[in-house]
Amino acid sequence: MNEIQNSPGCERASDLIAFFYGEAGEHEARDFQLHLQQCKSCREEVASFGDVRESITAWRDEALAGFISTPMTAPPKTKSALAALRQFFDLSPLWLKGATALAAVTFCVLAGLALFRSNNNQVSSTKVYTEQDVARIVKEAVAQQARVQPPVETPSPENIAVNRSKPKPKSSRASSSTQFARSQRPLSKEEREQLAAELRLLSSDDDATLHLLGDRINQ
Amino acid sequence: MDTLATDEIIVERALTGDAEAFGELVRRWERRIFALAYGMLGREEDARDATQETFLAAFRNLRGFRGDAKVSSWLHRIAVNQCISRQRRSKIRGESALEEEHETSFTTPRSYSPARVAEGRQETAAVRRAINSLPVELRQVVVMKEFEELTFREIADALDLPLSTVKSRLYTALKQLQMRLQKFESRN
Repeated sequence: MNEIQNSPGCERASDLIAFFYGEAGEHEARDFQLHLQQCKSCREEVASFGDVRESITAWRDEALAGFISTPMTAPPKTKSALAALRQFFDLSPLWLKGATALAAVTFCVLAGLALFRSNNNQVSSTKVYTEQDVARIVKEAVAQQARVQPPVETPSPENIAVNRSKPKPKSSRASSSTQFARSQRPLSKEEREQLAAELRLLSSDDDATLHLLGDRINQ
Repeated sequence: MDTLATDEIIVERALTGDAEAFGELVRRWERRIFALAYGMLGREEDARDATQETFLAAFRNLRGFRGDAKVSSWLHRIAVNQCISRQRRSKIRGESALEEEHETSFTTPRSYSPARVAEGRQETAAVRRAINSLPVELRQVVVMKEFEELTFREIADALDLPLSTVKSRLYTALKQLQMRLQKFESRN
């Protein structure tokens, strides 16, 4: 494919274009310069191409002056948190930098205080007790427990016998922990009444029956 | 990122999973690819889109990059193809960015008088129209030469053409531009 449309009278279009763009070799450039002195059409062509280039350059400069680099969406760019933070601070105004510094200082002070306090708590919680201390604390605890708990009714041998002969049902509707604890010993009359009242098993009319039953069980 | 690393090394890094490597390649070439796209398409918005599409396509085809061509040639080839397909699409839709009369809102130096500004705008519009009226194969070599300042060899590599064809196309393109601009001048 011969695409060269040379100027009339000259066949050196390829040399001309290489010379024009400064891509001719040293020897070719010198040779073409000599040719230019003799060839009017090539001289005119080089001059007119120069004008064309000037116009294109003006347009290019105008066009590229408006180019502002924008982040491309193609590559998934991962930036470290530190780098991002640094960039953020580089771009932020002075007042924002000051405010951030103040907030950082406040945060550090608060964090230090919290750390100090938690250390103090740890020290108090790891207090060393002597043997006497332990004995004293245990004694106090036992005494306190004794004051709080009512005196436990000691079951009579008869009650034990009755309990053995009549095993209690395994499941109870009101099986709270206190009731379970009480079920380990025979219930006193008051307790039975209270339990019945709680469970609403008995009306006030049934009290007499309850007495009889209680008496019979206790016998 | 090492700014002295060659494009080929950067591509190798990107292939091994270095997330920042491709970003570096984009930073290096986006302006020149934009220039090429702008020269080919003539509208800033289209040029930006084409530039983005070019790098997207390059990123997707990174594994298909063969080391026998330069990265720059490979990128330019993608960019030219993107511009050509974009022009085809806009032709189908009946748009022609370069034929629009209104200018893009690029800033103009204040020192110029209104008459000079108007004259300059007319001239750049004429250049734009003249380049647009060139056949695609001529336009791409002119843009690559004038906007990107690539050598004949680089253009030949990017377009996969013989060196002599590049020279002859460039000569023909300049000749046609000269005639069109002369027409514009004689009318004014």
